[in-house]
Amino acid sequence: MNADFQQTPNNLCPYCSAAFETFDGLKAHVVAVHKTEPLPKPDGLIQLTVNGQSHKLLVAPEWTLYQVIHDKLGLTGVKMFCDRGACGSCTVIMDGRPILSCMTLAIECDGKTIETAEGIAEAGHPLIDSYVNHHTMQCGYCTPGFITTAKALLDRNPEPNESEIMQALAGNLCRCGTYPQHPKAVLEAARTLKEEHSK
Amino acid sequence: MTEKKLGPYQTLKQEGTYKIGYDKPTVDFKQIGKRGVRRYDGFEKASGKALYTRDVNLPGMLYAKVLSSPYARARMLRLDTGKAEKYPGVRAVLRYDDPAINGQELTGSIAGTTRMAPESAGWAMLPVKTILSDQAIFEGQMVGVAIAADTEQIASEALKLVKVEWEEQPFILDKEKALDSDAPKLISGADSNKIADEDRELTEQGDVEKGFQEAEEIIEFTARRDAHLWAGAELPSVVARWSGDKLEMWVHEQQPYLSKLILAEQLNIPMNKIHTHSLYQGCSFGERCNPSNWSQNGINVLAVLLAKKADRPVKLVLNRAEKFYGFSGDLMVSQFKVGARRDGTITAVQMNNLFANYMCTTGVEHLVENTKIPNLRCEGTTVFVNKPPAWWNRCEQLPNVFCQTLVFDHIADALGMDPTEVALLNDGCEGRDKSYLEDFQRENGFEPRDSLKECIAAGKKAIGWDENWHPPGTRQLPNGRMHGMAFTWSHDWDDTRGTGSAAVLIQNDGSVSIIAQHSDVGVNPWTTYMQIVADELGVRYEDIEINPFDLNVGFALMSPDGSCNLGSNGYVVKKAARKARRMLLDLAADKFDLPAEALDIEDSTVFEKANPDNRMPVKDVVKMAVPMLNAVGIWTEPPVLDWAWHTQGLWGMALETGRPRMCRQANFIEVEVDTETGEVCVTRVVNVNDVGKAISPETVEGQMYGGTYMGLGRALAEEMVWDPATGVLLNRNLLDYKYATMLDYPASDNIYIETGLGHGPYGSTGIGENTATMIPALLGPAVYNAIGKRIDDFPITPNKVLKALGKI
Repeated sequence: MNADFQQTPNNLCPYCSAAFETFDGLKAHVVAVHKTEPLPKPDGLIQLTVNGQSHKLLVAPEWTLYQVIHDKLGLTGVKMFCDRGACGSCTVIMDGRPILSCMTLAIECDGKTIETAEGIAEAGHPLIDSYVNHHTMQCGYCTPGFITTAKALLDRNPEPNESEIMQALAGNLCRCGTYPQHPKAVLEAARTLKEEHSK
Repeated sequence: MTEKKLGPYQTLKQEGTYKIGYDKPTVDFKQIGKRGVRRYDGFEKASGKALYTRDVNLPGMLYAKVLSSPYARARMLRLDTGKAEKYPGVRAVLRYDDPAINGQELTGSIAGTTRMAPESAGWAMLPVKTILSDQAIFEGQMVGVAIAADTEQIASEALKLVKVEWEEQPFILDKEKALDSDAPKLISGADSNKIADEDRELTEQGDVEKGFQEAEEIIEFTARRDAHLWAGAELPSVVARWSGDKLEMWVHEQQPYLSKLILAEQLNIPMNKIHTHSLYQGCSFGERCNPSNWSQNGINVLAVLLAKKADRPVKLVLNRAEKFYGFSGDLMVSQFKVGARRDGTITAVQMNNLFANYMCTTGVEHLVENTKIPNLRCEGTTVFVNKPPAWWNRCEQLPNVFCQTLVFDHIADALGMDPTEVALLNDGCEGRDKSYLEDFQRENGFEPRDSLKECIAAGKKAIGWDENWHPPGTRQLPNGRMHGMAFTWSHDWDDTRGTGSAAVLIQNDGSVSIIAQHSDVGVNPWTTYMQIVADELGVRYEDIEINPFDLNVGFALMSPDGSCNLGSNGYVVKKAARKARRMLLDLAADKFDLPAEALDIEDSTVFEKANPDNRMPVKDVVKMAVPMLNAVGIWTEPPVLDWAWHTQGLWGMALETGRPRMCRQANFIEVEVDTETGEVCVTRVVNVNDVGKAISPETVEGQMYGGTYMGLGRALAEEMVWDPATGVLLNRNLLDYKYATMLDYPASDNIYIETGLGHGPYGSTGIGENTATMIPALLGPAVYNAIGKRIDDFPITPNKVLKALGKI
């Protein structure tokens, strides 16, 4: 974690200096007592929900979402590979859509809900096991980006066919060439999800 | 005369030196060769938990950036770093004239007796050999100054404040014009851009003149190739941290031990003061064991010196554009003359190869090693051009495969023969026919098998060769495209070299540790080591762990260069496991009160062979056998630990090493060529590899289908484009440097054959480099078969197809 990581400032009311444990508590207070909204907010303060956990972060305007998730939150599953939005390795799921975190400014993501490969694994999603079983990785650097892209696909299309899977994953580059295993792994995960669902 | 008794060192050396002959298994295979073995690195990689060098962030860490040359050739007249030094957040500035590096040729000499010696290695061919020079000889070269700052952004901004007064100099890009008398010379004052290279000047076997006299058909042709890039996933990265006189490094390196040797030489740091971590490696393909100063060891040295200056940890990561600092050794023009008898027997091959910026292979080596062609002559010339240094790219054998494929395809076509028949007719070794291989197999314990025949039969059947192959340019498909097929073949990738060491420790809870540093570049090595240790030691696969991220453990396994990852490391872990097993049985003998020979180990349990009910779990046997314990009041025993070293020997031809390559491979392709757009659509690839013995079948197949995508990309789309007017590389990114996506090419059909004819453990041989190296050469013959016009100019892009068809 970097030294310049700034914790959320004290949740002090700018009108009466009352202290609150949480930002949401402060916000409710200001709206209720001081009848004012929006709450004056420090420049660069954003709130992100990442893998189910809420984070309040002060970000510089030029920071990408990748930098915040990887360098500040320490989630190493987002990877820089091509350096410019050509490879899909930095893909995260934001409000249900797969997006490139290296091409997204963190400051524009206030209030967003984000999933990374770590969260998908922690939730016990069958994609992880099916990827391991099918050897759907070699060096593994691009793998988490495929996992997030595939998870977003299954969220919106729980029973994709091979062609739909390949279309969805076509924007993810893999230099080792693990490509043929991805449709197999995603199809297996979809089958497992369906079985779990029908139980 | 009494025989000299070997001391401990000589004993180890003797035990560890590869003995020619079939490595016949002595245990039952339970894990080895099994499908469905849980992949060791799978969960970590899928879940994003696997750590790579680029993921390392340390407290107080600075970020470094290096200036790169905007010109193909230029000299710095003045370098003003004043403003950059004062820029807030800048902590250290390292200039080319810094006493620590000024004028030093930081190439290292550690591998001085090999082809990596400064005199002959790729990087050292170039006239400017310092880490940071004031002279640029290619656009994008790291030059002049490196800066460490609080953030990457500050470092980049500070670089923009550096003022350089450049003197632009004339440059040469075209390898074929580099030898013209009026061509600009890379070394000022030199007579020529030719690089002296004795190894490459002449390779000769037999008498080509005699061979051409015996020939009934003689053909001549020229072929060209351009270079391509490693383009691996993780960018070149290093983190360096000083603590007093101790240096801690995190490196993205295929060979961290070699890198430590070179670093120690370059900066005069004692090796025992360098503590190196090697985490997971986001690809390598030979790039990250490239001793080129501009890249690998260059960034290591810069990070170390900046960290010293700033007294803070420093991370240096090159960006994607900067990663285009080198390429494969394929800048090449070849002139061929081939003679054959009408029955398909090749009597002579003569080739003249011109290479640029590269010194490793000649182009004729596979014809020597694979065939019975008696008369070969290969002349090679290497020149300087103002492009980056060239080095191995997944494999250095690309030129050899390319030349062999074209020779066979052209002569088969001229004779009107099926190329698979011409291959079978000329298979052999160093001018001798297949009976030599058969004799060798018989004499050395191998099962006599005709590997090429088996590979070709399997591949022909899979792709429907006999039904579909046709004379060139004769089959138009209903969709209007022209149909083409091609075939090539070669020997196995057993580079007959490689050294590694490892220990096996049985922890006092019975779990087993393999102890050695090793860099994983994605070839699933650790699963295979654990499979071997499980079977050789007699413990459950699940009970084994490997901790390969730390070079300080003192043991290091061979990295996957030399095509010999498992070829040497399989022996290392096998031997270490067998030695540890001996220790374990020796200890168990006490517990059972029986001789060690009466005991066996299976499924992590020791038992009496004659009475299997008399058994004890390994964990109970080793309960008190520990490396360290406070022994007050309890009686401890020494740990159960042993280690082994193995070398596969030196690289070389069979006559030098006594080891012919016996496994073969055959690759088949089917394409459709769109004669309106020039597009080459690959519809089918069949790879057949004799891998000797597959330790992990899924891993073998993974290398085959993965290599296919890289190979096809190299043949059809991967191209580095320099602007002839400025010498600037125009496509320094992964949008414009195009490599395969999932939709570009079909998945290959992969067939592996297990003849046991490899020199690796259990008769195995390499698989990681073969496919990606073989496939590119196939596309020329395939397109010829489709359109009936030769395009021996690689990569085969649509514009070249249209030109060959006379459409542009």
